[in-house]
Amino acid sequence: MIWHYLIRRLFLLSFVFFALTCFAFSLGHLFPGDPLVNFSGISQPDDELLPVLVQQYRLDDGYLQQYIAFLQRILQGDWGLSLASQQPVLFELTQVFPATLELVAYALLISFVLGVPLGLLAAIKASHWSGRVISTIALLGYSLPIFWWALLMIMLFSIGLGWFPTSGRISVLYEIPSVTGFMLPDILLSGQTYWQAAFQDAIRHLWLPAFVLATYPTTVMIRFTRDAMLNVWQQSYIKTARAKGLSRSQVLYRHGLRNAMLPVMRQLGLQFSTLVTLAMISELIFSWPGIGLWLLDSISQRNYPAIQGGLLVISSLVILVNILMDVLHTLFNPLARKQANG
Amino acid sequence: MPKPLISRSLPTALLALLLAACQPDMPAEVRSGLVYCSEGSPESFNPQLVTSGTTIDATSRQLFDRLLDINPDTGEFKPALATHWERREDGLSYTFYLRPDVQFHQTDYFSPSRPLTSADVRFSFERIMLTEHPFHAVSGGDYPYFQTVDWANRVVRIATPTDDQVVFYLRQRDSSFLSNLATDFAVIHSAEYAEQLIEQNQRQRLDTHPIGTGPFKFREYRKDVFIRYYRHGSYWGEPSQLEQLVIDIEPNNAKRMARLLTHECDIIAYPRMAELELISKRDDVRVQQQTSMNVGFWAFNTSKEPFNNSKVRRALSMAINRDAILQAVYFDQAEAATSLLPPTSWGHNPTLLPVPYNPEAARSLLAEAGYPYGFSMTIWAMPIQRLYNPNATRMAEMMQADLARIGVRASIVTLEWNAFRRQLRQGEHDSVLLGWNADNTDPDNFFRPLLSCNGVDSGTNRALWCDPAFDALIAQALLTDNQTIRRSYYWAAQQYLAEHLPLLPLAHAKRFQAVNHRVEGVGINPYGGIDLSTAFKRPDKDTP
Amino acid sequence: MAKFQWLYHKTEHGPLSQLWASFRQQHSAVIGLMLFGFFALIALFGPVLTPYDPYLQNPDALLLPPSWDDMGDVRYLLGTDDLGRDQLSRLIKGASYTFGIALITALGAMFLGLLLGVLAGMSKGFRASAFNHVLDLALTIPSLLLAIIIVAILGPGLINTIWAIMLALLPHFVHGVRNTILQQLEQEYVIAYRLDGANNWQILRYVIFPNTWEQLTVLFSMALSTAILDIAALGFLGLGAQAPAAEWGLMVADALDLIYLSPWSIALPGLLIFIAVLSVNLVSDGLRTAVRKRQES
Repeated sequence: MIWHYLIRRLFLLSFVFFALTCFAFSLGHLFPGDPLVNFSGISQPDDELLPVLVQQYRLDDGYLQQYIAFLQRILQGDWGLSLASQQPVLFELTQVFPATLELVAYALLISFVLGVPLGLLAAIKASHWSGRVISTIALLGYSLPIFWWALLMIMLFSIGLGWFPTSGRISVLYEIPSVTGFMLPDILLSGQTYWQAAFQDAIRHLWLPAFVLATYPTTVMIRFTRDAMLNVWQQSYIKTARAKGLSRSQVLYRHGLRNAMLPVMRQLGLQFSTLVTLAMISELIFSWPGIGLWLLDSISQRNYPAIQGGLLVISSLVILVNILMDVLHTLFNPLARKQANG
Repeated sequence: MPKPLISRSLPTALLALLLAACQPDMPAEVRSGLVYCSEGSPESFNPQLVTSGTTIDATSRQLFDRLLDINPDTGEFKPALATHWERREDGLSYTFYLRPDVQFHQTDYFSPSRPLTSADVRFSFERIMLTEHPFHAVSGGDYPYFQTVDWANRVVRIATPTDDQVVFYLRQRDSSFLSNLATDFAVIHSAEYAEQLIEQNQRQRLDTHPIGTGPFKFREYRKDVFIRYYRHGSYWGEPSQLEQLVIDIEPNNAKRMARLLTHECDIIAYPRMAELELISKRDDVRVQQQTSMNVGFWAFNTSKEPFNNSKVRRALSMAINRDAILQAVYFDQAEAATSLLPPTSWGHNPTLLPVPYNPEAARSLLAEAGYPYGFSMTIWAMPIQRLYNPNATRMAEMMQADLARIGVRASIVTLEWNAFRRQLRQGEHDSVLLGWNADNTDPDNFFRPLLSCNGVDSGTNRALWCDPAFDALIAQALLTDNQTIRRSYYWAAQQYLAEHLPLLPLAHAKRFQAVNHRVEGVGINPYGGIDLSTAFKRPDKDTP
Repeated sequence: MAKFQWLYHKTEHGPLSQLWASFRQQHSAVIGLMLFGFFALIALFGPVLTPYDPYLQNPDALLLPPSWDDMGDVRYLLGTDDLGRDQLSRLIKGASYTFGIALITALGAMFLGLLLGVLAGMSKGFRASAFNHVLDLALTIPSLLLAIIIVAILGPGLINTIWAIMLALLPHFVHGVRNTILQQLEQEYVIAYRLDGANNWQILRYVIFPNTWEQLTVLFSMALSTAILDIAALGFLGLGAQAPAAEWGLMVADALDLIYLSPWSIALPGLLIFIAVLSVNLVSDGLRTAVRKRQES
């Protein structure tokens, strides 16, 4: 029965991906300029190449054939060339995407480690001053415009105190070949004699951007954990459990926490697209070489194939995370599971 | 259990924080590296193909050598790849004797089997001159500096009688010939590498993965991010003390400054003038300055109406409040320019008076020229900071206000840098704020690219001004070595320009550089690109 | 739960005044509302209140610090920028951009979202299912990405970003409205009405709407805070309001070059964005708590 649900989700996933590729395809025609250039990334195809491309991209046929040709190219890995660098878009994406993933992953980690306990604390001590302080701080953090916050942090910690650097993933003097695309594992894999120093340097570079990016999800965690916990606390099964004589912490953990985490996880899935937006802005300010910065550069360079490719990747990521959270939520939530099967 | 969770996570977080805050001892390979933060990406790794200062700074003196160099203090020629040279009596041929045992770079894409010979010199220049050369059309086929000085026509042929002799045969006397060979553009490539690339069918790599004889060799390039060079161990001169040189690319001024202050950069290019005072107050960074051979000017597109009318050009020039610009844009760190040539050039004409600032006279002159009600025009302003113009947009805004007072409605055009240069090349501008930085000590270096008819074709003449009388003057100046005679021609040329005003010279700016206090051995080259081969960082007891 | 809940309209206090009473009890919410009102007023009347023309450049008064600094001038209360424009005037004008435009965008999205959400909630079958899937897709594209794409197609500018943000906010409204409606449709009294013979339209008008407007206001306040942040972010990136507009995000971006010389040029506009968003969030939180309290009673 659960398989039915998963298959339906998979079906939804494929449908959404198709719709996404449709949208990406339409951009090739919507963007200003020659659609051939927008799709291929070759800014000045010479006379020999032109008819070959037109034929390959089916530009003389109707939109449906063009779309099919587009889809085939996407699946085969030909995402066109970047207008700026004339390198394959897919290749550039594989260089920059892991950097963003790394940043987002660490930010989420921080938000879990900080957000959940603080949210719990705020719920338990809801009427106490400590609970209120936490809630207030969460509200303040939730209202911060991230670019301003990032600039303040840089002014204070980088330029003022000199504790952290302002940009990049690692000092440029360290030469770390890119194996996985993730900096910390790559350092460990690099076999360089100075890997320890490089590791510490990478952490120093990671700290400020991850912390700034983590501000929003942490506050979301705190607020939702608190709300969910308060909600759950009121529920009858909690009262039953307490009446049965279970200790507070036992009740908290066994019944409260697990049930409170569900809507939190769900909310995280929904907020993920906001998180990606914030990551893009953070990357700009911290010169973090991720997909966000790459995409923002592409738009100022009018690099349409790159924008198309970036859209596909980022939206796919967000969709995947959404569906994943949805599935996890359903798997762990007996009520929702029942709904899914029914 | 919530409490243990908190008490477990807090120490971990603190540990991570401590880990980050502790500054490790930098390992040796890293400590002997230098980071130079540049304002843009290079267009190519071959200086022959460009005139952009950004590209020259990044590549020319780091990766390559020339036949001869200029001593920055005296302005005299000194040997580089050529140990000595002779010129025939009639001035029609120059023979260069090459230094023995000059090694090319060894990288992971090329291993040289022989040292530098005359074949390499010949290859480097024939590529530019001969249209049928296998490399001529590679990477676009444009050699703007050489086109401007009309290299292909001036140099008849190049002969290599022995492995260590190169002879250049000229069509006529050219007293700027040696100066041109000393510019950052006249670099020597490896003919052996070129042959290898022909075999591998990858000719464009000559310009993207360079091989030279310079103090550094190419290691990797991440576009818009950084360039990494390694030290060239077998350099013929004094090898660099740096094992690594990284050119970090950061177009944003504020970020570049921030990186200097956090010590992520050791040297930064183009510090903002507004912040120089701030920097000089800190003791971990210092500012270097140098009077530089440059000029910032306002060029009119003389191929368009009404800018083909010299009265209109004079009227517009008289409307500009140059002193206000010097104060607001250059922060009083520049001299007002009366001519294209800065006063430090031996060809400078000191008898010239600056164009007076006189809006009323400008207005009446405009009416006289047939535009009593003024007209509309565009001012194109560069989006990036350059030596000769730290803030073109700001300058344009001030000029816009000045022009409004005489009835001329100016609008400002600014685009992304590459798009800007592309469209400028197509002559779409009415006027543009630009400038020029000298490549050598010869006054010809200012006049020819900027105002000669050849310069129109090669794209360096933004005023699109082609005047045979002017061309004749500067051509005459090349026919003799006698500096007095040459000077008289240049004075006449400057007088001519002062009457016709195809462009309005605005200022000669001082060149600044901001370095970390531990950096030594780097100066500012008054001519051309930066030379980082002599740079090094003093070790410090404290953390960097 | 009270058995005769659907007869609420017969009780003494209408739901609005109940909500207000509950809201008023929370001090933070009231402060938020006051701030909110303050910003709304400034957004509306700002252009009249500015001491100077926000676009007027005064070359004699460049980069003046705020008046409390030694070098400041009391005529320019909060100092000037690098073109000599009065900061106070620009900040006031900025309220119309950042706050005012955000209000318009959120309202627009709300009305459209209401329409579409009703359609989604009331219809059934394959059409509804397909629509819901498209909705899920729309929910996943980050607002910034959507704005980038729209800007790439149409070019940068304030109008285009209004469309972009409205498009980005829309799915959340539709989602929220649809869920509320679906939830309402399952209630006993709706079934009772249906058995009585009420058609869709009547159910909508008499039962569902009165019960959903609370949820709608909560959605609106959340959307507003998102809209303010998005407009400011897009202005900061240069994709939204264009120079010389006095939008707060754009002012921060313009002042970046001057970060060392005049840090207040960055601090002040950003602070205002922060306080504006905070005020909306305070109101939003207050509303949610008030709604919850009312539903529980």
